[in-house]
Formats: sequence, structure tokens, C-alpha cells
Amino acid sequence: MIYDGKKIIPGLLLFVSLLVSPVLFTIARGKAAYVPKLELKAGAKECVESAEYMRRNHMTLLKNVWRESAVRRGDRTYVSSSGKTYTISLTGTCLDCHSNKAQFCDQCHNYVANKPVCWDCHNAPEGNN
Amino acid sequence: MPLTRRGFLSQGGLILFGLASRPLLGAFRRTAAATKRWAMVVDLAKCTSAKGCRECIKVCHDIHNVPDFGGAKNEIKWIWTAPYEKVFPEQEHIGEALREEPTVLFCNHCDDPPCVKVCPTGSTWRRDDGVVMIDYHRCIGCRYCMAGCPYGSRSFNWKNPRTVLKKINVNYPTRTKGVVEKCNFCVERLDQGRVPACVEACPEKAMHFGDLNTEGAELKKLLLSAHVVQRQPELGTKPSLYYVI
Amino acid sequence: MDTSVSPTERSEAMAASGVVTGRWPAGSGEYGPLYKPVGTAGRSFTLIVSVLAGFILLGIAAYVYQWRNGLGVTGLSRQIFWGVYITNFVFFIGISHAGALIAAILRISKAEWRRPITRAAELTTVLALSLGVLNVIFDMGRPDRLFNIIRYPQPQSPLVWDIIAVTIYFTASCSYLYLALIPDIAFLRDHGTKPKWLYQILSVGWNGTEKQLRIFKKASFFMAILVVPIAVTVHTVISFIFAMTIQPMWHSAILAPYFVTGAIFSGIAAIILAMAVVRKAYRLENYVKPAHFNNLGILLMVMALLWLYFTIAENLTAFYGREPADMTIFWNKLVGAYAPHHWAMFVLCFIIPFPILCLRRTRAVLGTSVASVSVLIGMWLERYTIIVPTLTSQRLALGQPVYFPTWVEWSILAACISFFILLFMVFTKIFPVISISEIREGEHEALADFRERLETYFPGKPIKS
Repeated sequence: MIYDGKKIIPGLLLFVSLLVSPVLFTIARGKAAYVPKLELKAGAKECVESAEYMRRNHMTLLKNVWRESAVRRGDRTYVSSSGKTYTISLTGTCLDCHSNKAQFCDQCHNYVANKPVCWDCHNAPEGNN
Repeated sequence: MPLTRRGFLSQGGLILFGLASRPLLGAFRRTAAATKRWAMVVDLAKCTSAKGCRECIKVCHDIHNVPDFGGAKNEIKWIWTAPYEKVFPEQEHIGEALREEPTVLFCNHCDDPPCVKVCPTGSTWRRDDGVVMIDYHRCIGCRYCMAGCPYGSRSFNWKNPRTVLKKINVNYPTRTKGVVEKCNFCVERLDQGRVPACVEACPEKAMHFGDLNTEGAELKKLLLSAHVVQRQPELGTKPSLYYVI
Repeated sequence: MDTSVSPTERSEAMAASGVVTGRWPAGSGEYGPLYKPVGTAGRSFTLIVSVLAGFILLGIAAYVYQWRNGLGVTGLSRQIFWGVYITNFVFFIGISHAGALIAAILRISKAEWRRPITRAAELTTVLALSLGVLNVIFDMGRPDRLFNIIRYPQPQSPLVWDIIAVTIYFTASCSYLYLALIPDIAFLRDHGTKPKWLYQILSVGWNGTEKQLRIFKKASFFMAILVVPIAVTVHTVISFIFAMTIQPMWHSAILAPYFVTGAIFSGIAAIILAMAVVRKAYRLENYVKPAHFNNLGILLMVMALLWLYFTIAENLTAFYGREPADMTIFWNKLVGAYAPHHWAMFVLCFIIPFPILCLRRTRAVLGTSVASVSVLIGMWLERYTIIVPTLTSQRLALGQPVYFPTWVEWSILAACISFFILLFMVFTKIFPVISISEIREGEHEALADFRERLETYFPGKPIKS
């Protein structure tokens, strides 16, 4: 048997249960089957890029492409992969359709417990859908 | 002859030196001739600040979400007033009426800005058209630019501005505590072809804004015809702000 | 490592062949007081550590308060936006010049009396540099963006030059401290000091062989020469932070040598104080003699005179020129709101220490310690009166507001000093605070070297002993 097994095995079990306790809590609260429900403004058509691209890359697009172009170079023209031209503006372009933070952004961001600091400065949209 | 360790080190060092010298020399390069050069002329004769008018300040601070912390310690001001004799201290004989007259002050958007020179992270820079910009995403709040500016044009967010902002203009971001801010010549409006908000809001039309590089422009004519002064031009900062006394 | 011969046998054989090794015969009582404090902690040590830890906790609490509420919790304002933190930064980096002067310059000039002091000097450098950098971080509005300086450095900014210079100096100082420590660590290893694994690893196989000694001597000399220009550069670059702006009383070419002189001045004072305390605490009177304090006192006196020279030069030039912007600050310092700070600085930096240091009778342990304390406080005030009064001008004096630091800033200053003392004390419990190998080298080789040197100075006759 394991040397000092009487101490190690219970300790190991305790450690593992503490490790997975957040998951257990979520299951206990009945939220295990939660799926983010994203809502846009009524009449919103298509985004600057496709949904799959945005899901993965919206931060890269905003920080590395849009921010550098608009803030540091003063160039507010963006040509998307589909060839359409957009004005680079978080408030004017993005938040025009994604008009409610709680009903769109927070749905996923709260789920993964990721709080971006953008809203420290940029005004969070609280429009009605 | 095989490469010895000493040889590798010396050659590597020379290569590194060569690579490093290019950006280093680049830092001292003057910017190329620009297309536009924005400038502003404030006609002090027309300004009614002595009678209590503060329209330009109100409009600017409103639309840019400039917080009012109350008191001189933490204050943030993009536009403000100071007594005439303090703004132009080199003039000795000033009439009594003029001495205390509140003179509107802005960031001078210098052509050779000392604030830009000292910023360690490049969070402030001079755009090609003359506007001295701040990137609030990158500013580390060291306040060296405030030490560089000889005009006292910059303010620091000593506290979280959102704790004192009563009304927020949702079309313009706020800033966080820990970054420096100043007048930005309303670049968001300039990029749309409009004049700065203060110029538009002035009830006496005492401020004139324009591009100095455009031939035959209103602004150029005004500068050439009237008697204009600048704040401490002998410092070599080449301000873009002129005053008609 | 050759395990067939016992350590005792090897070291005896090496000693017999005239090689100075890092090993001593087991059970030797020689240099006992130098390594006695290592690994032991008495009641007074624990008590002092607790008090220091209390101050440090207070400082941490103050910083957490500042982090959460913004720099507005300090006494800083739109007018006076640099204050205690930047003063601390310049002050601590100034003290770090102790190492450069003592360990390096005295070694290069072959001053034999440096031997008990070098370790403490180099340690002071490393600790003071760290605290200096820490104070810059305390001063930042967005410390979470600290790495922006590394990611987007602007080569024309004096702050970037400063980061580079301080990093190089820190690396060089740490290396020099460690290098000189190696023989002592080997000594502790051979004496079986616990924890054995620590000294085993850190001694990196030092056995005091002839080859190792040769490399060691060359490397030490090389590092000593390297450290001097680096140290001068560091404080020059720090002065450039102020001198490269166009603010009145900052934009002056004299700021560079003024800062370097002030740094060496405060560095020597720190060393004197450190050695006086260590000597008393660990009963090292046999190793740190009055002669050492006498010599350090003379150096301190010379630096006081140099400091006076630069102070007069700077103020006289400003006063004679009568430039309005400069004169506002000048009068502010002499008779205005900052007169108490300025005159206290002058009294503490010169009036009190200079007479003490001039007279041989008072230039002993107590006298030099008192002078050093006075100099240290005075130099802190000197940095303060360089930085803060200029900011009252901004070429637009709106009533010259005075700056009152709050409890946050004072707590952090107290915590910094406590942290310095604490780390110093902990170091003395892990490594010898006086370099055993250097003392030993001095006792065995110095006389012969010195005699050799003397013979080169005088006509070719053997020196009478």
C-alpha cells in the first residue's frame, strides 16, 4: 500500500474536491446547462466581420487594428474581409447594434468571468432593444 | 579562419549597434512637411471673460466629460482662465483694467512640443496636422509630460473621474484615474470637418480656427493684419495658439 | 570535486603551498566574530524585525489604499505633481553610490582600509537601487501598465535612459556583490553552516585553487572599473530627467555633477551609519576600527565641501542672472514657502556635519555617525527642494501652492526605510557582513604588496623595515 496512505489519500481527495468545487457549486445551483443568450438591437443586420471571426478575434480587431488605426494614425476607415467599408468607432459602429451591454456583452463575459477594462473609459451601452 | 568566441561577440556587438542606431537617429529626425497646420487665434478684445462668460469652458468640459473635483488640488481643466499679467508676464506696463483680466488658456499644441519629447511610452505625440494627441490606453501616469510642459496645460486624474461626473456625454469616452489629459483641439470634430466646440460656442465669435498652410486662409490674413502675441515664444516650443491683444 | 582527499587535508596542503584559500582548518576560531551572526537570531533581532515589519505593513496598507483610490490620496496636486515619491527615488538611488565609491574606487586605488566596508557598501547599493525603482512604481498613475515602458520605449525620453542606466547598474552591482561573496560562501559551506544546500549551490564549486583565485582577482578588478562609469552615468541620467525639461531652476547643466556629488555624499553617510550600527550590534570593534571612521569622515568632509561648491555655484548663477522665472523659485526657496526646507537642508548638510568632520577629535565613530544622520536627512531635503519648489512656478504662478504630503506618503517612506534596514539585517544573518576573504587577503598579502609598491616609489635601496 501507499506509505502514509492514511494521510495522503484523504488529503488528495480533499484537494481534488476543493479544486473542482466551483464546478460542483454551479451544478448545485442548477446553472450547469446555462447558455449565453445574446440579443441585439431590433433591425441589426450584419456585423463588421462574421460571427465566428468576431467570437474569436473581436479583441484583436479592436485593440491591434482599430485602436492603432484610429487613435494613433487618425485613419477611421476600415475595409472588412467582405470588401465593405466601415467607420472605425466603437460607440458609433459597434455599439450602434450591440446596444445593450447586459443583453449582449455580459452574456458571454459573465459566463467566462472575464471583465474587460474597456468600460472604465468607454461608455457602456444601455440602449433598449 | 573559424569564428572565435571573441570574434562572434565583437561582430555581434557591431551588428547590434548598427541596428540600434537607426531608430535612435530616427528619434531626432524632424517630421516631414505637413499637409495641414491647425492653429487658433483668440481675440482678447472681443472675449467677454471679464464679464463672467465661460461658455467655451462649459461646452468643452461638458462634451468631453471633464470631471469637476471641486478645488484646486485635483482639478482637471482643458480650458481655463488666468489673470493677464500672469499669462504674459514679460509685459511691464499694463493698464489696471487689463492686469487682472481673465485670459482663456488652452493647450498650445506646439510644433516642437517638450511634452512629447519626454514621454517615455509614446502616449503623447504630435499628429502631422499639428494636434498634440494623448493615447489614454498607453499612458502610465508618470506625469513627465506635465513636467515638460512649460505652460501648465496638462491635468492628471488624481481620482476616478466617474465618481464626480454628473452627466456623461455618451458619445465621448471618459478617462480613468491615473492618466494625464488635456485639450485635444476637438480632433473628433476636426476629423469630421467641423471646428472645435469652443470656437463654435463662443457667443462673441472671439476665437478663430483654421489651417495655416492653406493659402489665402482667413486665419493667415488675421495673423498678418493684427498684433498677435503668443505665450513665451522664446522657449522655442512654437505654439499654435495666438492671442490678439 | 575531488572527494578522495579530505577538505582539511587539502586546505592544509594549499595553505602550506602559500595559496590563500576559501577554506580554513575546521574548528578555527579565527574570524569567528565575522561569521558568528550567520544563522543565529537573538531576542533583540526578533524585536527589531517585528517593529520594522510593522512599518512595512503600514506602508503596504497605504499603497493598497492609494491603488484603489488613486494618487489623489497623496498631497500631490495639479500644480505640484511630483513630491515625496520622486524625492525618495532620487534619494535612494543617490545612496546607492556608496557601493560604487567604496567597493570600486577604493579597490582601484588600492586603499587597504576598505576591506571591512566593501560588503556593506555593495549591499547598500543593491538594496537602495531596488527601493529607488520601487518608489517610481509607487508614483505611477497606472502601475498596471508598467511594462509599457518596455514595450513602447521612446529613445528620446530621459526616463527611458534612466530605466536602461539603472538596470545596467543594478545588474552590475548584483554581480559584483555576488562575485565578492563567493569565497565567503565557500567558507560558510566548509564550516557546515546550515542550510548546507544553500551554500553548496551558491559557492559554485569555489575551492580557492590558484586558477580560481587568478580569475577572481581579475574579475573583481574588472567589475570595480566597470562600476564607476556606470554609477556616474546613472545619477547623471537621473539629473537629466529634470535638466532636460525647460522648467526654471531645473534646466541647468550643473544639475548633472550636482546630483552625482550629492549621491556620493549621501552614499558615504549611509555607509558610515551602516558600519557604525553593524559594528555595535555584532561587536566587530576589532575589525572596524576608529581609523576607518576617520578615513570615511575625511571623505564625507571632502564631499560636503564639494556639495557646498555646487550649491553656491548654482544659486549664485541663478541670482546673478535675475531671470524672472528663476528668481520666483529662488526667492521661494530662500525666504518663501520653502525657506524652512531649504535652510534646514543647509544646516543639516553642511553647518552641522562640517565642524564635526573637520576636527580629528570628533571624527570618530560617534561624531561621524551623528554627521551622517544629519547628512542623510539633509540630502533628502535637498532632493525635495530641488524637485518641489520649481513646480510652484510652471511659468504661471497661481498663488504658489504649498505641498503637504499625507500619511500615505510618509507611511511609504517609513516602510521603504524599514524595508532597507530589514533586508540589510536579514542579509547579515545569511552571509558575513564583513568580507572574510578580503580581510584574510589583506592580512596575508597586503603588507608584501604595499612593500613592493613603496620600493617602486623610492630610490633603489631596500626599504628599512
